[in-house]
Amino acid sequence: MNRRKAANRMKPAAVAPAAAPARRDRRAALRAWREQHLYSLFSSLGRLAARPGATALTLAVLSLTLAFPLLFWLLLDNARQLGGRLDDAAAISVFLKPDLPASESEALAERLRARADVAAVAIRTPEQGLDEFRSRAGLGDALKVLHYNPLPTVLLVRPRATAANGESELVEALRREPRVDLVQYDLAWRRRLNAILALAERGAEVLAALLAAAALLVIGNTVRLDIQGRSEEIAVMQLLGADNGFVRRPFLYTGLWYGTFAGGLCVMLIGIVEWALAAPLAQLAASYDQRIEVHGLPVAGMLGVLGLGAALGWLGAWLATSRHIALGQPR
Amino acid sequence: MIRFEHVSKRYGPRHDALVDLSFAIDAGEMAFITGHSGAGKSTLLKLVALLERPTRGQVLVNGQNLNQVRRRGVPRVRRGIGMVFQDHRLLLDRSVFDNVALPLVIAGVPREEIARRVRAALDKVGLLGREAEAPATLSTGEQQRVGIARAIVAKPPLLIADEPTGNLDPQLSAEIMQLFGEFQQVGTTVLIASHDLALIKRMGKRVLVLDHGRLIDDYRPHATG
Repeated sequence: MNRRKAANRMKPAAVAPAAAPARRDRRAALRAWREQHLYSLFSSLGRLAARPGATALTLAVLSLTLAFPLLFWLLLDNARQLGGRLDDAAAISVFLKPDLPASESEALAERLRARADVAAVAIRTPEQGLDEFRSRAGLGDALKVLHYNPLPTVLLVRPRATAANGESELVEALRREPRVDLVQYDLAWRRRLNAILALAERGAEVLAALLAAAALLVIGNTVRLDIQGRSEEIAVMQLLGADNGFVRRPFLYTGLWYGTFAGGLCVMLIGIVEWALAAPLAQLAASYDQRIEVHGLPVAGMLGVLGLGAALGWLGAWLATSRHIALGQPR
Repeated sequence: MIRFEHVSKRYGPRHDALVDLSFAIDAGEMAFITGHSGAGKSTLLKLVALLERPTRGQVLVNGQNLNQVRRRGVPRVRRGIGMVFQDHRLLLDRSVFDNVALPLVIAGVPREEIARRVRAALDKVGLLGREAEAPATLSTGEQQRVGIARAIVAKPPLLIADEPTGNLDPQLSAEIMQLFGEFQQVGTTVLIASHDLALIKRMGKRVLVLDHGRLIDDYRPHATG
């Protein structure tokens, strides 16, 4: 008995000395803890189900709040893929002097590949170039009037992604090559694209942060109203010796449920948007020569949304309870 | 069990609720606090339950100086005290069973044991078999009994009640007081604030009389009923 008292003194918020059975071992305490949590988990769920209208409205707002930045991010993710293709197109086109033997263009390509600022070099022979022209609608007939192949060999030099200075240096070096006729490289266009993509990416991050804050506020406010509505119950529990953790727990679980359900709803919402956009996106992709693969939210991403929702819900409820329940405590 | 040492409680700049109050109540004793309304009865009970803290002096409950209890320790002190209120303060959206079980749920008692002890407590107040009902469907006297069952279900060593019969007719009041007497007989210390002097007199227990926050009398009448 004395030992138990001493233990209680060391851990003030542990268990009631009067209500605890004489011999309570650690396992029983753990079981009680688990039961309290399970109780809170399901009773808070029951409370949400008891007012379906208000719960549905809150969940709709929350899921939209979560869905907006996610959809933006998905759009960006797909656009980045597009950007990647354009990156290829932005390779430096090096037109070699006409009538240069194939072996010499091979040698030049090999020499360029050895440079540190070159990622890859592809050779497009005049024959390949002609084939490409022929495959384009309308051009095939025009080419028939030609008796010879007027196209030069073209080296497609892809610079290694380093400082922009390095690239212009490479371009200058290519221009100085005696076998080179023309170097075509639109640096400004390429930079602009990169800047736009970076801006959009940052924008997505800022939007996500703002909307996460909005989700926190929505959950926090909902839980605050819930706390106000149950102030008498909280007061009685505190009179009966409930500590803040006990009073707080059902509200934390309420937040957890809100967040998790909103995450689930958000995943469904994204699925619907993906489905609605699938056909026009496929058309857009088909209009590009290179096939673009439109991808949606992966399974890991869906789980991530659920987890994120749950975490936001818990945090929002935690903020609300730490502010309002502490104030409700008489002393 | 309860010991007040030169306790004063002042609300605001000039309202003295309690003035230099000193008394002691032994373990297992039953005592009434009486006095006109505003004499400080409720304030005294609030100090015991740590709903308020004294402006001066100290309150000891079960050997523990309440001045030394920090905020985090307050719930544990309250779990050692059964409280009964004039307006019973039951949760109306929960069943009788859930109301009575609340202190045990808070204390983390296993479920099967909760069911057993709730039924035992309801049996003591004569409401066995009414667990599933809603408090609102019960009569005022029955509601107060549920409140008492909730106060004693965790077997606290101390039971305090603030005007527990304030809303009841004389017949019901006598029954409720009888119930408190029974708890004293099994060793619980009972402290009741009440202004029902006739009823108090019939109980034949110790009476502390407050007037404007001062203890003006401390006597034990002879039981008449």
